Amino acid sequence: MPNKMEETPKQEIPTKIGNWHDRNYKLMLLIPLGLLVASIIIISSFYATHGDFFNKDISLTGGTSATIYDKENAEQLKVDLADKLEGIHTREIYDLVTREQKAIIIQTKADGETTKKVLEEYFGHELNEENSSFEFTGSSLSESFQKQLLIAILIAFFFMAIVVFIIFRTAIPSAAVIISAFADIVMTLALVDIFGMQMSTAGIVAFLMLIGYSVDTDILLTTRLLKRDEGSLNNRIMGAFKTGTTMTLTSLLAVTVALFVVSSFSVILTQIFTVLVIGLAFDLVNTWITNVSILKWYVEHKEKKR
Amino acid sequence: MKFNFTWKIWLLIIVLALSLISIFGIPSFEKGIVVTSIEVNSTAFEQGLRQGQIITAIDDKPVSSLEDYSSIMGEKQFGEQSVKTIFKVQDVEIILFSPHLPNITVAEIPATNLKLGLDLAGGSRALIQAEGKKLSNDEVNDLVATVSNRLNVYGIADVNVVPVSDLSGNNFMLVEIAGATPKDLQELISKQGKFEAKIGNETVFIGGNRDIASVCRNDATCAGIESCFPSDQGGEFCNFRFSIYLSEEAAERHANITRDLSTNSTAQGNYLSEKLNLYVDDTLVDSLLISEDLRGIITTQISISGSGSGTTRQEAIDNAEASMKNLQTVLITGSLPYKLEIVKLDTISPVLGKEFINAIVIAGVTALLAVAIVVFIRYRNFKSSLALLLTSFSEVIIILGVASLIEWNLDLPSIAGILATIGTGIDQQIIIMDEAKHSKYLSIKQRMKRAFAIILGAYFTALVSLLPLLWAGAGLLKGFAITTIIGITTGVLITRPAFTDIVKKIEDK
Repeated sequence: MPNKMEETPKQEIPTKIGNWHDRNYKLMLLIPLGLLVASIIIISSFYATHGDFFNKDISLTGGTSATIYDKENAEQLKVDLADKLEGIHTREIYDLVTREQKAIIIQTKADGETTKKVLEEYFGHELNEENSSFEFTGSSLSESFQKQLLIAILIAFFFMAIVVFIIFRTAIPSAAVIISAFADIVMTLALVDIFGMQMSTAGIVAFLMLIGYSVDTDILLTTRLLKRDEGSLNNRIMGAFKTGTTMTLTSLLAVTVALFVVSSFSVILTQIFTVLVIGLAFDLVNTWITNVSILKWYVEHKEKKR
Repeated sequence: MKFNFTWKIWLLIIVLALSLISIFGIPSFEKGIVVTSIEVNSTAFEQGLRQGQIITAIDDKPVSSLEDYSSIMGEKQFGEQSVKTIFKVQDVEIILFSPHLPNITVAEIPATNLKLGLDLAGGSRALIQAEGKKLSNDEVNDLVATVSNRLNVYGIADVNVVPVSDLSGNNFMLVEIAGATPKDLQELISKQGKFEAKIGNETVFIGGNRDIASVCRNDATCAGIESCFPSDQGGEFCNFRFSIYLSEEAAERHANITRDLSTNSTAQGNYLSEKLNLYVDDTLVDSLLISEDLRGIITTQISISGSGSGTTRQEAIDNAEASMKNLQTVLITGSLPYKLEIVKLDTISPVLGKEFINAIVIAGVTALLAVAIVVFIRYRNFKSSLALLLTSFSEVIIILGVASLIEWNLDLPSIAGILATIGTGIDQQIIIMDEAKHSKYLSIKQRMKRAFAIILGAYFTALVSLLPLLWAGAGLLKGFAITTIIGITTGVLITRPAFTDIVKKIEDK
């Protein structure tokens, strides 16, 4: 059968870019390094002032989240009940299509029964499963939730590192993958702190998802660079770059679109998607600058030795 | 041009078909309504009607919708006399005689076998620990057994009580109830339920089957609301009374303790000097006068009373009935060995669930469309882009198929997991497409093998990073790990190989 689809001509990197990259790739490492140092400073200073790595919502501090299916102004309610419900936060929920208010979410550190009583008084009617949802988490449980999710991330990271080592069996390339994943997490966390986002258990899970997404492109890059021998090094990097950015950009686009759709509706999904958008954006930096530069350095060093 | 289906593509098609069967069931032409819940002590239950059964006809009239059910049941004159109702369940007839509407809830046969989690379908969930004590595995199992029994005796159906543990080795009891939240849920699951009947300082009997032979319930002759009055503070006030039967041993104890008591004469009659005080969890709930003629007598039957109040008569009756049921439950099931603490309690309304699912579907579809556009722009190949989309879509169906096969309840974390899987799935398909285009001097088979090396690497890293989530946080986020693991495993074993073959075919042409 004749070959209908013409082969794409072998991608020769325009030598200009190649040369430029050859000269500057080590220098480029300063960009992620700077970002990483800045992120660590931001996170440390956040920790120093708040005693924690990020702002927590009631799923991590303990308290009650009530969803009342009523049209009520969130700001007004917050002001009205500020002295009755400790640490109150409110938020309105809208229908996706009609933009009509569907519900109001009230989060407070108070326990379930107190919250219910105060809100029943405010709304002037009984709150039952027809018109409301209540979620209460005790403070001891939420504390252990947080601890365990952080442990889960550490274990996940550790397992991921082991698998990466098993796949590549060489120290520096494996370390490069792990460093990129680490940088993704740290930079994302720093931005979360700057935004002052209140993290929930779902937000922490999003960081876990980030490990998976981040490592995908790094593995692609490392495999193409180390386990292949056709084409020049720059060509292989360029090939991996094309595939990898397509991957990350499609993910980024999909998540952004999804974020846009759910943002007025689900607090949990909004948080997961926000963390992913930030993380994927940083992943572009960390895969295509951090990881590429370390790998290129490594490969060139090895070739020189030969 | 003929498109040859390889065995990998066939495998995908077969698994896809099986998943669809798993989700939608084998198409049946059976019409009817399904029993979604049934009170365990009800007449209907005793006659053999069970949750999950499909009622096809009532009194020989076919039922195929909820309207049919309510119109048939609505015509019946419940109230004074027992009414005969014949439920046809498959080929068996279940005949009820009852003055009340049967205590069941029904729904139309669901279109799919997918089960939604509490956060989407509505229901309540509680996580319980012992107060100031770390429960061992055995202890939490005992606790689960007692609370299950209690909920059963109380008559709550559709409940799931299981022990769960977390990464730090804490044991919890998880109680999940689908549908409406029972009125006394908190009390039922967290009350220690230590019932004691005392005369003076001496315990006559306690709750549980050692002292109590049986408790009269659901029998108007020995249990029920006795009388109602307007109360002093306004509102209404109702008394209930039911009989219990003591074991021989407890009855003898009663005789011994009362033998030495003196008599008090009152206008209402002659009673013993001490009262029989009833305590639940060390709180006095009622004091009963003991009639003079019971002194020193071995009596096995004792009448227990109590009350309930409310702003209206009906509310007072409901509350009195609820406290009666509560007390009966505690008397039958006995006390829990520790004080309990509810560490998490969620009562979720089913109202927003449907809209939520709509929102997720809209988000998913728009995200996929966005991806499709990018992929098409990048590859300029309609067939491959379409194949990529269809493969991702079939992956979702397979995840849902497996989920309904293992009866996994799809909750929000599970759905986030499905979204994550689509994301990684598309990423890997992009790797395959790019590998197929690159390095043309290799055979397509070699190229695909290379793509797979990358994909397997990504698969194992993702898999291991999900494992801790199966236990962290008492497993409440397990759904995320479960659906993602199903998704990426399906990907590596089924959809990715099939996609590889499809791409090969497209590239070879």
